Amino acid sequence: MKITFLSLLLSLFSIQALFGQKVSLNGYVKDVSNGEALIGATVLVKEIAGGTTANVYGYYSVTLPPGTYTVEFSYIGYNSVVKTIDLTTNRRLDVELKTEATELDEIVVLGEDEEANVTSVEMSVSKLDAKTIQKIPAFLGEVDVLRSIQLLPGVSSVGEGSSGFNVRGGNVGQNLVLLDDAPVYNSSHLFGFFSVFNPDAVKDVKLIKGGVPANYGGRLSSILDVRMKEGNSKKLEVSGGVGTVFSRLAVQGPLKKDKASFLVAGRRSYVDILAAPFTGDATLYFYDLTTKVNYNLDEKNRLFLSGYFGRDVFRFDERQGFDWGNLTGTLRWNHLFKDRLFSNFSFFVSTYDYGFAFGENDLDKFDWESRILTYTFKPYFNYFINTNNELLIGGESTLYDFKPAEAVAVSDGLVTDISLDEKWSIENALYIDNTQKVNNKLTLKYGLRFSSFHYFGVDSVYNYETIEPGFRQQQTFFRSFDNNEIIKSYYTWEPRASVKYQIGKGSVKASYMRTAQYIHLVSNTAASTPIDVWTPSTNNIEPQIGDQWALGYFRNFGRGNDIEASIEGYYRDNRNQVEYVRGADIFLNEFLEGELIAGDGRAYGLEFSVKKNKGDLTGWISYTLGRSELKVDGINRNEWYPTRFDQTHNLKVFGNYQLNDRTSFSANFTYVSGAPVTAPTLRFVQQGMVAGYDPLESRNNLRIPATHRLDLSMIIQMKRIKKGKERKNKDELVLSLYNVYGRRNPFSVFFSQDQGAVNLGSPVETEATRFSIVGAPVPSISYNFKF
Amino acid sequence: MKRIAIIVLASGLLGCEDPIDVTLEEAEPVLVVDAWINNKPELQIIKLSMAQPYFDSSLPPPVSGATVVVSSSANETFIFEERNTPGDYVWDPSTSANGIGEIETEYQLQIEVNDEIYVSISQINRVPTIDSIKFTFKEELNQFQPEGYYGEFVSADPRGEGDTYWIKTFKNGIYQNRPFDLTIAYDAGFSQGGLIDGVVFIQPLQDSVNPLNEDLDEIVPYEIGDSLYVEIHSITNDAFFFLQELQIQTQRDGGFDEIFAEPFENVPSNIINADENGEDIIGYFNVAAVSGSGRKLTE
Repeated sequence: MKITFLSLLLSLFSIQALFGQKVSLNGYVKDVSNGEALIGATVLVKEIAGGTTANVYGYYSVTLPPGTYTVEFSYIGYNSVVKTIDLTTNRRLDVELKTEATELDEIVVLGEDEEANVTSVEMSVSKLDAKTIQKIPAFLGEVDVLRSIQLLPGVSSVGEGSSGFNVRGGNVGQNLVLLDDAPVYNSSHLFGFFSVFNPDAVKDVKLIKGGVPANYGGRLSSILDVRMKEGNSKKLEVSGGVGTVFSRLAVQGPLKKDKASFLVAGRRSYVDILAAPFTGDATLYFYDLTTKVNYNLDEKNRLFLSGYFGRDVFRFDERQGFDWGNLTGTLRWNHLFKDRLFSNFSFFVSTYDYGFAFGENDLDKFDWESRILTYTFKPYFNYFINTNNELLIGGESTLYDFKPAEAVAVSDGLVTDISLDEKWSIENALYIDNTQKVNNKLTLKYGLRFSSFHYFGVDSVYNYETIEPGFRQQQTFFRSFDNNEIIKSYYTWEPRASVKYQIGKGSVKASYMRTAQYIHLVSNTAASTPIDVWTPSTNNIEPQIGDQWALGYFRNFGRGNDIEASIEGYYRDNRNQVEYVRGADIFLNEFLEGELIAGDGRAYGLEFSVKKNKGDLTGWISYTLGRSELKVDGINRNEWYPTRFDQTHNLKVFGNYQLNDRTSFSANFTYVSGAPVTAPTLRFVQQGMVAGYDPLESRNNLRIPATHRLDLSMIIQMKRIKKGKERKNKDELVLSLYNVYGRRNPFSVFFSQDQGAVNLGSPVETEATRFSIVGAPVPSISYNFKF
Repeated sequence: MKRIAIIVLASGLLGCEDPIDVTLEEAEPVLVVDAWINNKPELQIIKLSMAQPYFDSSLPPPVSGATVVVSSSANETFIFEERNTPGDYVWDPSTSANGIGEIETEYQLQIEVNDEIYVSISQINRVPTIDSIKFTFKEELNQFQPEGYYGEFVSADPRGEGDTYWIKTFKNGIYQNRPFDLTIAYDAGFSQGGLIDGVVFIQPLQDSVNPLNEDLDEIVPYEIGDSLYVEIHSITNDAFFFLQELQIQTQRDGGFDEIFAEPFENVPSNIINADENGEDIIGYFNVAAVSGSGRKLTE
């Protein structure tokens, strides 16, 4: 495969020779105030009524015949800049844009870039920028990236208390969550109340639900691409906040003006609030640290180093407790081979681990740790062939080290090591993806990804055989393997394609994608938790393969086209979805593979979105009508059944009203249909204990009550001028009320007997209980500052 | 371990539980057999009843007029007769020439009722003796483990994988039968895949003989004068999985533990209708060997 890749690269350069008579205009688009690259900024060449967009590093390149051009650079929320350029040779032009409402000294054109959602070939994509996220009323007043993402069409979660999020009927483990390229294996703090992304350090969030370009892969449902700020390259900036749950502090600034900058952002939650029910030494808290350094070596080379470290800690005394956390590190090198050939080489490390510790002393204890550790190298080439073609080509290679359990049990001083074998794998991918503008109406994007997965590193390998579908499988010894001997390999071709066709003022878009997922998030709880285990595809567990088709219509309305509207339909067909046998035991189990079975999945739905980006009143309405189902041999009479996160209606309304310069109000309303749970129909007694029983063996046969909630918030900017002088710092007070009418939204409904003692011969009570995580209105106040 | 985790997690922050009314699907009642017998020299009872709608909390309707026979691979036959209590089929070892006992003997249960024949097979497995019962005075460790005397039983799982047990606690002569008291072991550990074999039962299992308070949020230490009696019942591997499922269903006290709760699933029965197309049946047949030891806490 390596040879093929090289030859592709070589042919790239020869393509360039073909267009040799043309010249290119290229450079970076940045924010003038802090030097941050503007991802996706539009570059429009008036004369050809076409152009390009800046890539994730803010780099753009347009190739044109020599001549004089009027070029407009624009970005949502920023004043556009129009420049007249006499282009005779390749020219580097870095452009800095100003946010709106600052003084203007260049020609300004507004409104053009707001058409991007209609004109771009991209569909099934949701973007949120830091400014919008800041306005959304948040739980305990702390804005959060993942909680905000859940307000967008096609995105949901099982409820408060569940980690992660679900996209288009996919499970939590089917989302690839990237922080500056590095995968984050568990994106939640405190059981999903907050995410690992510190809003002070986040620049841009992009969720791709369908039509995923070929440069992304490895998960079935979605890609959440979170990009960190580079750090203010103009001046030192300190920002932070003091809230009800935690405090934040971020420092950023130039190391060398316009050359190098850094960012350090940290958060720490308070023990007192969360650990209120505890006394003594018991604590529950989290902290995280996000850092980034970048350096412009010269016009053609830039280096970025970024890292994240965070942990949640739940201790009930000095020795005993439970903790979990992620660590990621990314080193990136941007290199311009030619003006039109942008490249990036990333190397990153990511790990997620959790641990339990029980026992009073070293003679009697139980310690258990589990982790996943990965190393990835990812070369990427972005070739701006001409104004009508933009090529992405690259590869990715990941080494996985799975350590399902490192555990010791010590009883009366006797140590028993109950660790499980480490498992290793390598995942490789090569891809090519081209965006082709055929004419003003038609744009195509097509690509191909070839991925492979190799499982190795386990000595004793077993095969598993189904005795009865839906029940624990029987293991038989297969054979012994050497340490580096490949046990099983898988290969997948993943075609991707999107098309956009402009009809009148709107556009129709369609996309298809095939995705392969080689690692699986194993969890047999009702919702995702911090102790879910990542496990590789093996000789027994096949990779998940998904196909998705999507069709949508996009149109903007209103004065200045400031209301964006879209409707999208999708259908997903997934194979080898992981399910569990009855009574599956997924922890500390050497024979885990015997507990996992596979089936088919399908999900389909319609997503509506109306969004207003400008004016005093901004916000959106998003509604999803969806279905997500599984069909697994031996489960639910072999018939289709809804997944735990199948929510028929999902309505989210968000609005922000700017009352005056200093005060703004936000409201957020959520309505989600009841998710299904499995319920018994009969009860029976064994040895004084009551068990439920369902003779029909149905799965997820009962809908729990719907979830709905209203949240409000008010942001008050503190006075900017004090005693006639402008204050140096900007600060604001955020008042918020979460769950205004105190609805007890169900996390789950469970069925059980009374927990008390049973007197011989007396009947035992059984009941259904609704469990809500937040059962009351939660007010909060926080203070944010920046100077 | 789960027990400790539960008491910690149960102390939720904002969470709340309320009983709610839900309408469940309806189903035809099914015959239920509760057949957990052992080698103790006391009355052995097999109960027959009908399953009830889930929210019917009355005593289950007994099923009378059945023929209940247990026979062994050693060609012994034990006839269980319905005596004073309807639905309770009893065999009295003291009036019988033979007894349940030899390790590794296979037993077959056969029930004839309403023109249907139900059968099941179990085997009596080995059980380790309990060497001693210990009480240790401990300082307050945390909110869940207050100061006082903590009991422990000392016993070792015999070498060889695949021994499964049900550990029962009697405090002051009273069998501790709340859902959270149900303690089972796979070899010396919690589960099959744990592979803790041929050693002293792991600490959390030894500690399981210290019952929780009524709110299930604190261990109640033993006091001077209290007695502790511990029994280990050998169970088949399948019975272990049955009880493991029963634990998941019955050990529900809400709180943050619900976040980690597994969904409802039918517990797997081991009694079947001899006629594949016959009436459905649920229930379990297990023959246990039992070892026990007790001690009174004195000064």
